Amino acid sequence: MKALLSATWLLFVTHLPRLLRSRRTLLVLIVALIPAAIAWIVTSVALKRSPSPGAVATMGGWILLMQVVVPLTALVMGSAAVAEEVEDRTLTYLFTRPMPRAALLLGRWAAIAVVLTVILALATWLFLVAAGRARGEGPQLDAGVRWPLATAVLMGGLAYSAAAAALGAFVRYPIVIGLGYAFAVEGFLANLPGKNQMLTLQHHLRSWIMAQGSETWSRFEKFTTAGTVDARTAAFVLVGVVVVALAVGSWRLSRREFLLSA
Amino acid sequence: MTPAVEAHDLGRWYGDVVGLSDVSLTVEGGIVGLLGANGAGKSTFLKLLVGELRPSRGTIRVLGEEPFANRRLYQRLGFSPQQDALWADLTARETLTFLLRASGFARPEARRRAGAALERVHLVEAGDRRVGTFSKGMRQRVRIAQAIAHDPALVVLDEPLNGLDPLARRDTLDLFRALAAAGTHVIVSSHVLHEVEELTRTVVLLHRGRLLALGPAPEIRALLDRRPRRVAIRARDPRRLARALLEVEGVTAVRLGDAGLLDVETARLDELQERLPAIAARERAGVRSLTVSDASLDSLFDDLVGGVR
Repeated sequence: MKALLSATWLLFVTHLPRLLRSRRTLLVLIVALIPAAIAWIVTSVALKRSPSPGAVATMGGWILLMQVVVPLTALVMGSAAVAEEVEDRTLTYLFTRPMPRAALLLGRWAAIAVVLTVILALATWLFLVAAGRARGEGPQLDAGVRWPLATAVLMGGLAYSAAAAALGAFVRYPIVIGLGYAFAVEGFLANLPGKNQMLTLQHHLRSWIMAQGSETWSRFEKFTTAGTVDARTAAFVLVGVVVVALAVGSWRLSRREFLLSA
Repeated sequence: MTPAVEAHDLGRWYGDVVGLSDVSLTVEGGIVGLLGANGAGKSTFLKLLVGELRPSRGTIRVLGEEPFANRRLYQRLGFSPQQDALWADLTARETLTFLLRASGFARPEARRRAGAALERVHLVEAGDRRVGTFSKGMRQRVRIAQAIAHDPALVVLDEPLNGLDPLARRDTLDLFRALAAAGTHVIVSSHVLHEVEELTRTVVLLHRGRLLALGPAPEIRALLDRRPRRVAIRARDPRRLARALLEVEGVTAVRLGDAGLLDVETARLDELQERLPAIAARERAGVRSLTVSDASLDSLFDDLVGGVR
């Protein structure tokens, strides 16, 4: 266990600065700032009926942040944890060292999680600042709107990125499968009426928001036809996804052989 | 004493493609050259040896251990892969320090060893440059440095001389000799016989995934020298020259080709080369060019396995 922890820490501290200067991180940052940019534009142009800050925050948060930005950025970042080393053929150096192979997944994912959390926190804050510029009448931007959204964004980022990172221990191109799953399967299921919604991460993120949020969020109840789970269950499932994904990914990584071309 | 490598009926295939088949050998130690043409199975054998791959059949033991994902073995093993891959955004020193720390060394010791390894491959001055800016030969030296920096008992190097200029090549061969002199087992793969010859007497010869020979390099060289060689001679009057060449000792066949080309087969290349100028002058044949066919391992392999195919 000590060997695993120290190797994970080594991978974490080595990967973190590399991540900060990578083009992938820059791309993710740009994508993450799109909702804030859109909110800024919406609150800047003169509309016939100006929206309220709460309306902009909940609508943009529900659709843009939760359903597009969080899965997209988390999958792009998370999928690189193992797959990048395979693609760059540098995995050999790490797998012929006396360290637990699982440390590669855990250490690199931990670095990704830190960077992703900072990016998503920044993106959400800027989005809420932009939404706060709205001048229309109606629900305002209170803590019951802000905090459930911000915490759901961060939890979603961790859950999706952990799943994508673990996927890299199984397949060569986890980004393709991850994005396919997030948008074609989960995006589809989460928005279809019926109990299928409960099988998605989106359902639990929405449940978290609905359970924690103010009345302003209640107009999205019609999207959760399967009903919602309480906040504790939602958090338990989301944390569980992270733990199980990393455990299964680590297990697979410890046993799998990778064919790296010369 | 535990052999450096022991393989029994070792085989590895990729789907329907055979990478290695029925290889049984014991390598005691010292410097061993793993020789074979491209696609002979050298890299597959080395990947099995360092535990990057699992055997499809048979067994392999390295320093007495099964290698796949064996952390205890990796403390005593250094591996320089063939693929030209390193973390381009790290400096050479950062790369070595990181990998030494992954080998369990504390940061100060890792830094000290990284510096020493860079010195051994003559990269001290470039040590703080990003590897992405390095030439192919410099990257090769970084790969060698990371394989030896932790003082392993066995160093496995897949085509370590690729991309090196003659000076770096000479230094690298000296480095391998120094490692062996200090008691380290060194396994070096190459597809060039004379590279291996410069380094060691012990050669493992692979061909099309099979073990062809295991023995002293001079014997393999002698085999290469004894086998019939083909010489292509272009001449103004190839017919006159062909008749005359049949008198030369060792010439076993002469065939007339197109456009003044003669295809000569000889078991005594030296004799042919010595007598050809005089014969060409006497016969006024007007020799324009002479080409000795490829003396690489590929043709030797073809000769060696010709009888068993």
